[in-house]
Amino acid sequence: MTQRLVEAFDANFFSLFTAEVTLFIGLILLILIPNLGKGTFRLPGTQVRIPWFLGGQRFEWNANPRLPSLIALLIMVSATIQMGMRVFTESDSILVHATGDASVRILSANPFSNLMEFFFFLALTLVIMASINRLDVKDPKDKSISTLYNNRRQADFYILILTCALGMSIVALAENLFVLFVGLELASFSTYILVAFNKESKEGSESGMKYFIVGSAASGVGLYGLSLLYLWSGSLQIDILAEAWAGIEQETLPYVALGLVLVGFGFKISAAPFHFAAPDAYAGAPSTISGLLATASKAMGMIGIIKILLVITQPEALEGSAIWLWTIALLSVITMFWGNLAALGSDNPKRMLAYSSVAHAGYMLAAITAAGLWNISGDASAQDDAIQASRTVLAAILFHLGVLIAFKLGAFLVLSLLEMESNVKSSDAIAGLAKRSPMLAVAMFIFMLSLAGVPPLSGFLSKLLVLLGIIKVAIANSASSSFLGIDVHWVWGLALAMGVNSAISVYYYLRVGVVMFFHEPVESRQGPLPRGSMIRISIAICVILTVGLGVSGEFLLDVCRSAADYLMPMMRGL
Amino acid sequence: MLDDFDVITLILLLFPFLMSIVMLTITGMVSESSRRKLAPVWRMVSLGVSMALFIVASMMFTGQIGGVDWTGIGFNEYKFVYQYEWISSLGITWQVGLDALSFPMVWLTTFLLPVTIIATWDEKKGAVYHPLILMMGATLLGVFVSLDLFMFYIFWELTLIPMFFLILKWGGKDRKYASQKFFIYTFTASVIMLLGLITMYFSMPSNTEIAMDNAGEYTGRTFDLLEITSIAQSANAGGVWLENLHLIIFAMLMIGFLVKLPAAPFHTWLPDAHVQAPTGGSMLLAGVMLKMGAYGMFRIPATLFPHALEHFQFVLMLFGFVSLVYGAIVCLGQTNLKKMVAYSSVSHMGVILLGIASMQPIGWAAALFMMFAHGIISPMLFAVCGAFKHHYHSMEIGAMRGMAKHSPWLATSMMFGWMASLGLPLLAGFVAEFLLLIAYWHEFGWWILGPGLALAITAAYYLWSMQRTIFEGGEETQPPKEMEGKPIPDISDMEKVAMLILAGFTILFGIFPAIALDMMSDWTVTMFETLFGGA
Repeated sequence: MTQRLVEAFDANFFSLFTAEVTLFIGLILLILIPNLGKGTFRLPGTQVRIPWFLGGQRFEWNANPRLPSLIALLIMVSATIQMGMRVFTESDSILVHATGDASVRILSANPFSNLMEFFFFLALTLVIMASINRLDVKDPKDKSISTLYNNRRQADFYILILTCALGMSIVALAENLFVLFVGLELASFSTYILVAFNKESKEGSESGMKYFIVGSAASGVGLYGLSLLYLWSGSLQIDILAEAWAGIEQETLPYVALGLVLVGFGFKISAAPFHFAAPDAYAGAPSTISGLLATASKAMGMIGIIKILLVITQPEALEGSAIWLWTIALLSVITMFWGNLAALGSDNPKRMLAYSSVAHAGYMLAAITAAGLWNISGDASAQDDAIQASRTVLAAILFHLGVLIAFKLGAFLVLSLLEMESNVKSSDAIAGLAKRSPMLAVAMFIFMLSLAGVPPLSGFLSKLLVLLGIIKVAIANSASSSFLGIDVHWVWGLALAMGVNSAISVYYYLRVGVVMFFHEPVESRQGPLPRGSMIRISIAICVILTVGLGVSGEFLLDVCRSAADYLMPMMRGL
Repeated sequence: MLDDFDVITLILLLFPFLMSIVMLTITGMVSESSRRKLAPVWRMVSLGVSMALFIVASMMFTGQIGGVDWTGIGFNEYKFVYQYEWISSLGITWQVGLDALSFPMVWLTTFLLPVTIIATWDEKKGAVYHPLILMMGATLLGVFVSLDLFMFYIFWELTLIPMFFLILKWGGKDRKYASQKFFIYTFTASVIMLLGLITMYFSMPSNTEIAMDNAGEYTGRTFDLLEITSIAQSANAGGVWLENLHLIIFAMLMIGFLVKLPAAPFHTWLPDAHVQAPTGGSMLLAGVMLKMGAYGMFRIPATLFPHALEHFQFVLMLFGFVSLVYGAIVCLGQTNLKKMVAYSSVSHMGVILLGIASMQPIGWAAALFMMFAHGIISPMLFAVCGAFKHHYHSMEIGAMRGMAKHSPWLATSMMFGWMASLGLPLLAGFVAEFLLLIAYWHEFGWWILGPGLALAITAAYYLWSMQRTIFEGGEETQPPKEMEGKPIPDISDMEKVAMLILAGFTILFGIFPAIALDMMSDWTVTMFETLFGGA
């Protein structure tokens, strides 16, 4: 693994970030193309009209209201393919520094960021594909206002998706917490609007408003934490902060700052108790966007958490375990129980999936806790074991974020197909789905089983990997403490909590199956489902990924490992 | 003929699995009316596939395929082993093989599949039912042939899915409740088992300390059961493997298996699942699925942690004892025929647990034979219950009286099944119970009065229920002359065939138990010698 230094915006810069540049070009195209038309400019004082092609009546070739979605799909697919090539071929890391000063780091493209960007782009591609049907254009011959508005906002929707993608890329690439925050806000603001995109329905605007207010409050708190960090160390650059943290003494300021920053990112991954807006947002947003929140947006929050907790707050100085170990452990247990217990009581499948998303955030926080634990005894072989354990945990988190796209997004896509009929508000929407479309019901059931962690689906593999990581850490550290009289470290209890929670969660996932296969379809939803061919294709992709990655997930696991390997030396200061 | 038969285990597992997937996919794609036409076709195809499996397994039994002599196979010695790399970074392999513990179970599964299909031949269940039965069989085969703990766990969980659908779609009135309870209950236990497995996985020495063939590149450990067994054996020879954790790991694994078995007080899912399940589901559930628990106990905790087994011997004995006695007493009070049979299963599973807890080679052999014999007898009991329900539309014991008069076939089958289950000599169940009582006397002495009493209660509830269904019909309670205006039907020809097959094998293994018992006792003797140094 070699490191290359590149100056920002020099000749090499653009050729190295082709995928992101593609996105940027796509964004400009999306803004320009729908606005091109026969507009002219009249020279003052004369009757001479000079055509300047902006505004006015559109040309024939760009009058098709479906054009923005096709452009967005094309751009996103090409960005995904480029990023996929980068993930599977590139092992170098590229460090972008400020002009003239190599010590000021801005961005870094490395195996970790490549993988995360690949996940983001893949999820967004699926979202765009599904949205082509979900937010369909209306017949442009119909000149009514609602049709006009609907076709106009097509461009807005896809512009927001692309800005979201760009923001997420910046979060993955950022080497400076301030850059990271900018990327986070770019992506967040896009999602605030996307959540409220269903503006015809009351729930749409309500959920968008709630999500925006709570989200901005969380961002504000996080930003305040960042400013305190800056006050403390004089820089927000990640490597400088990490160095400062290693030499920390008895100080309060950085700990307070850390706590505040965690609030900001805790909201993004919808960890309890910062998850309150999530169920409302998921329920009110179009299902494709709920899927985006539950997968890509959550992965973005996870990057922030990983960078702050695992990269910056290195625990060496603090006797083998991170300062936040108990806090995050507690948070994870509360999150998983809260999510699962609340999901038990929700009738609306979208709310249920939202709470299940909260529970999954809890599982990931449990894994983070395990990664923050060191070997305390300090002899060489145990040290090696502990490093291996942290690597397993990290790879497990990344793998989980990846496969989550397959089955979480897949479940939301099934709901979005149902939303094409009418809004999904209760379990009536999926009642008797097996009678209306057996294949779709089977797909949904596969997603549910995968969420519950039933083998051999990919959800099982990712949960197994997280458990493997946690238990490995617990046993590698068994000398230092015991749990309920058993000779293992207390983080083993987190694995137990995960086991208990998986068992609880089976109930509500199975209930979806029961409702689909057992209940009769309600009166308003009879007969065959809408065609929605693009949604069906993306659901098929999700099913293939869910089953395929569970049965042979080795190659993705290898990629996740090399990404984790990249993070390891930073975490350990090796 | 082929020279290398090792791949046959894999074929045995994948063939029914793929066939059922193909059938289900085709069913999912065609229209409603063609689905109705497909149903009899799929029934024939499923029967054909399962018959083929049965013939192959029987030929393996007799040695015509592979030329294996099943007697004299020692502990940790596997035939037809086939290995393929799967997730090499975690040390997970795709490894299958057979020994004297798993082969009888595999044979039993392949035997029950066609019988189940025949016994429920006339019930109109549509085009999905029979493929699901086939898939159920494939996943069960997967549990018994896998020699990799990861693979074992995957098939262990997979068995839940076809059974969940069998109960949910074709079950009785409370099927929704029963199927979910069944799934959640056993899933919870399996997750605890999984935690135990992983804790064991990381507690064992890594490949830097011990040479391993299939160690994961990243973890340095393996899920390969053969390798784990040899590691555990060499460690147990001089001391106790994983001394600080072996009790808790053993307990966690046992929770998974005790719930599946099920042993009281973890049995509450079973009566619900059984009563609500369709006949075919019940037959497979009682015949093979319950045996997964006992099979797992032998395969993993007993093999790897003999010292923990010794430590928990008395606790296990108590579990077995309570299941046996409690199951028998509850049976006495049942008015629902199927529920009674379900509780009798709990009682018989208690016998298996007692066999394991006796810690005698002969007791273990008794447990193995009980698994086998109960696997033939209990499907017959459920087939009788199914026929009863099918023809009389009720499960109440008192609903139909004087069966001996108007339905001689059903009455005979019922009597035969009941007698076999209560342990009549010359039938398969007797051999197992007899062996168990010997082992029990050796180990626990006068405690033997307990199982003896329980067996007496067993006889009581079976005879009493027979009296109320087959014979009663004297002057006060005349048997009905007709049902819904038609003469009372006896069982159909296909049901007769199934009953005859089951009865035939019950007699066969009752008179010549050595066919299966020899290989079992050889295996348990070497297992005992390996684990406890020939004491």
